[in-house]
Amino acid sequence: MTEGSPYAPDEASLVAETLLQRAESLAQEAEEDEQDDRMSLLLFRLGEEWYAVELNHVREILRDYVTTPIPCVPSFLRGVVNIRGEILSLTDAAALMQLGAAKDGDKAPAIVIMNEECSTAMIVDEIGDIAETPVDGVEPPLSTTDRLQADYITGSLCLGERLVGLVNVDSMLQPINAADL
Amino acid sequence: MVDFDRTAFIGKFQEEAADLLQRLNEDVISLEVDPDNRELIDRMLRDAHTLKGSARMVGLIDISDTAHRLEEVMVRIREGEMAYTEAVSEGFFETLDAIVHLAETAGEDAECEIDMTALQAKLTAMVEGSEVEDSPQEEDDRVESPSGAEPKAGQIEESLQPKVQHSIRIKTDQVDALLNLVSELVISQIKSEQRAHELHQSLGGLGHIWQAWLQLKSSLALVEPEDDEVSARINDAVNALDALLTAQRRSQDTFAKNLADDVSRGSVVVNELQEQGMRLRMLPVSTVFATLPRAVRELARSFKKDVELVMEGGETELDKKVLEEINDPLIHILRNAVDHGVEPADVRAESGKPEKAIIRMSARQEGDHIVIEVSDDGAGIDAEKVKKAAVRKGYVAQSEADAMSDRAATYLIFEKGFSTSAIITEMSGRGVGMDVVREFIVEKLKGSLDVSSKLGEGTTFKLTIPLTLAIIRALMLRVGGRVFALPTASVEETMRLEPSEIVKAEGQDVIRSQRRTVPVVQLADILGVPTGASNNGKRAIVTVGFSGHRIGFVVDDFVGEQQIVIKTLGSHLRKVDNVAGVTILGAGEVVPILNVQDLMMNARSRGRHRRHADERAEVRDRPRRVLICEDSFTTRELERSIFEAAGYEVEVAMDGQQGLVKLKEDLDIDAVITDAQMPNMTGFELTRAIKGDSRLREIPVVIVTSLERDEEKAEGIGAGADAYITKSVFNQDTLLDTVERLMR
Repeated sequence: MTEGSPYAPDEASLVAETLLQRAESLAQEAEEDEQDDRMSLLLFRLGEEWYAVELNHVREILRDYVTTPIPCVPSFLRGVVNIRGEILSLTDAAALMQLGAAKDGDKAPAIVIMNEECSTAMIVDEIGDIAETPVDGVEPPLSTTDRLQADYITGSLCLGERLVGLVNVDSMLQPINAADL
Repeated sequence: MVDFDRTAFIGKFQEEAADLLQRLNEDVISLEVDPDNRELIDRMLRDAHTLKGSARMVGLIDISDTAHRLEEVMVRIREGEMAYTEAVSEGFFETLDAIVHLAETAGEDAECEIDMTALQAKLTAMVEGSEVEDSPQEEDDRVESPSGAEPKAGQIEESLQPKVQHSIRIKTDQVDALLNLVSELVISQIKSEQRAHELHQSLGGLGHIWQAWLQLKSSLALVEPEDDEVSARINDAVNALDALLTAQRRSQDTFAKNLADDVSRGSVVVNELQEQGMRLRMLPVSTVFATLPRAVRELARSFKKDVELVMEGGETELDKKVLEEINDPLIHILRNAVDHGVEPADVRAESGKPEKAIIRMSARQEGDHIVIEVSDDGAGIDAEKVKKAAVRKGYVAQSEADAMSDRAATYLIFEKGFSTSAIITEMSGRGVGMDVVREFIVEKLKGSLDVSSKLGEGTTFKLTIPLTLAIIRALMLRVGGRVFALPTASVEETMRLEPSEIVKAEGQDVIRSQRRTVPVVQLADILGVPTGASNNGKRAIVTVGFSGHRIGFVVDDFVGEQQIVIKTLGSHLRKVDNVAGVTILGAGEVVPILNVQDLMMNARSRGRHRRHADERAEVRDRPRRVLICEDSFTTRELERSIFEAAGYEVEVAMDGQQGLVKLKEDLDIDAVITDAQMPNMTGFELTRAIKGDSRLREIPVVIVTSLERDEEKAEGIGAGADAYITKSVFNQDTLLDTVERLMR
C-alpha cells in the first residue's frame, strides 16, 4: 500500500506544478469564454441559405401572428403586427437583402430583433438552433457578396457543415423615415 | 373671465427655466472649448430668447431683461462682432447664477441679495465693448414690478404648502404607459365578454346532450331485462353516469353564471378605469388661459395699443398634452391680433370704433372636440394685400392669385414663412409666423384651423382640437379591400354619388358639394393600393377640408364611425407617408390611421403631375378637329393658334348658334371649346343643346370663360359640360391637356 510515488520527489513536484498551471490556464480559458471570445447565435434560413443573428439582439420569436399591411412603405416591409398591444414592423429579411421574398402568408416565423434604438419582427423561412461560436471564427463577408447584401452581413462563419452569414442587426434596423425616401 | 392664476404659471416657468439654465450653463462650458461652434451659439441664443419671453410672461421682468442682455451678447457673438472670451464666460456664469436664484425664488427676495441692475449694466457694457454707466429711468420702473408682486407671491407659496401633500407629480410618460395598459385591458375585457358568450353557447350544446341522455335513460328503463346480472350492471352504470352528468351540469351552470357575473362586473370596472384614466390627463383650459391676459397686456403695451382680452369657457377641460402644445399657438395668434389685427388708436377713432380694442377668446366643448375661438374687432385680413404679398414672395403665380377667392387667399397666411409686413417688431421680431400655428394645431394636435375675416370688422381664428391626443373619432372606410381610419376632425361630408355626378373641370375630376366645386381623387391611387369593388355602382366619397383646401376622396365604401386609440407605427417606422399611426380594434385587429395632411398634399401634387403627364397624342389616321365657339376675335384666334400648333384642325364659330349649325353639318368634330357669354346662344345653351342631341352627345364640351364664380361653374357643369376652364388660370397646357384627356 505504501508503494510511493512512481516518480522521484522532484519529478512529483514538477508534475503537481504543471497540473496546477494547466488547471489555472483552463480556469482562465473558461472565464474568458464567458466574457467575450464566444457568442451565442440564433440560426435561421432564408431560401436555401442559413444566416445567424446574435442572440443578445433577439427579443422573441413569433410563430402565430396577423400581418396588417401598411401603404406607402418600402416593399421589404410587409406591414405591422400587434404583439400584446405593441406595434412592430414586419421586415421581410429576404426581400431586404434581395434574396427573393420569403414565404407568403402569415405562416413564416418571425424573429423580433432589437438594438438600443428600435425593433422589428424579421420574417424568415425557418428558425434553426442556437449555436455557440468563438468570435474570431467570424470571417469577413465573401468578396463575391453583392454590395447590397454586404450591407446587411457583418461576416460569415462555419458551423459544422454550414456556412452561415452573420446578420448586421444595426443596418437591418435602420429606421424608416418617409422624409428620407 | 378667468382669474389670473400666477402660481400655476410660476411653477411652470421654474421648471422650464431650470432646464434652460442648466443647458445654458453646459453650453457656456462647451463654448469655451469650441468658441466657433455655430450650432451651440444658435442654441444659446434661442434658449436666452425663450427665457426672456417666458420670464416676461410671468412678470419676472428682471429675469427677462437680463436674459435679453444675454441674448444681445449672443447675437453679437454670432454676427462675429464680438469674440467669445473667458470674461464673457465669467459674466455669463454670474448672470446665470443670478437668474437661477431669481427663478427659484420667483423673484421674491432678489432685491436684497443681487444687484440685477449692476449685472445688466455689466452685460450691456460687454455688448458695447466699453464701460457704460447704466441707470436709465426705465430700468428702475421695471425692477419695481416684481417687488410689488412680492407679498402676493409669498402668500401663494404659503397657501401652496398643504396642497402639495394632496397631489403627486407624475411624469406624463408614466400616465401614458398606464393608459396604454388600460386600453389593452379594455381590449382583453371585450375578449372576455366574447369568451363568456361562447361558453354560454357551448352550454346550450351541453343541454342537448343532457336531453339526449334523458331520452336514452327512459328508453333503457323500457328494455325487458333478459339477464338480471347484466341488467343490474347496466343499471349501476346508468345511475353512476346520471349522477356524474347531473353534478357536472350543475357545476358547469354555476361556473358559467359566475363567469358571466365576473365579466360584467369587470366590464363596469374597466369602463370606469378607462374614464378615470383619461381624466388623469385632463386639466381646465384656464391653466393656459390664465397666463394670457398678462401676455396681451405686455404685447399691447409694446405695440402701443389699447387692448382688452375677454375670455370665457376657462373651465372646459382638455388633455394636458394638448394644453401644453396649445399655449404657443395661442400666443402667436394673440400677438398677430395685437400687432396686425388691431388698428392704431387714431385709425380706430376714424372708423368710429371704440379706442379700446377687444380680443375675445372662448373655449367650448363640441362633441369630442374643443373649439377655441379668438376674435378681434380690428381691421380684418385684407385679401388683396395678402395676395400681393404672396405673389411678391413667390408663393403663388399672379394668375393663381387672380383666380383665388378671398377666403382661399386668407389661408395663405398659414404658408411657411409668410408675412405681409416687412416690419420687424419687438416681440415678433425674429421671424416666426402663422405657419407655426398651423404646424402646432394640425400636425401636432391633429386638429384643424380656420380663419374668417371681414375687412374693417375683424378676424376670427377657430381652432378645433381633439379632446385628447390618445383617443380620436375616426371614420372607418374601406379602400382596396382594406380598412383604414380617417380622423373625423377634418372630414366635412360623406356622400354616395352616381358616377355621372363626377365631372371634369380644368382637367380634373370634380364634384359639386355645398355649392362649391371640389376636386376628387381615388384614395386607392394616393395610397398605392388596388382599387376595390365599388358599392353598387355608386361612388362613396368623403370630402376633407384642410387649411382652406377641399378634396373629395373616392373610397370603396364607408364602414362606420368610432372612437379609436392612436398608436404609433413602432420604433422602426418613424414616418410613413400618408399614415399617421394605427389603432387596435376590439378584436385585436390593427387598422392604419390616415394622415390627412399628407393625403391632401399628395392629392394636390398628383393632380398637377397628372395634367402634365397626359401630354401624349395618340397616332390617328386623321388630325383631330375641334370647334371653337368664341365671340371675341382675339381669344378665338389665340385658341385657334394653340390648337393648330398642337396639330389639330380647327373650325370656328362666332356664337353658339353658328357653332351648333356647324356641328350638325360636320359630324367629325372631336371636341367643342366654347365661351360662356356669347350673343344669340350662350355657351351654356350650346352645351345643353349638344348634350341633348343623341348624335352630338358624345362630343366633349369644354367651357372656357371669365366667369369664375362657383355658381357659374355650377351652371356649366349642370348644363353637362365636360370641363370648365376659367380664363384667369387659362394657359396653353391646361387647355390642351383637358381636351386631350377628354378625347381619349
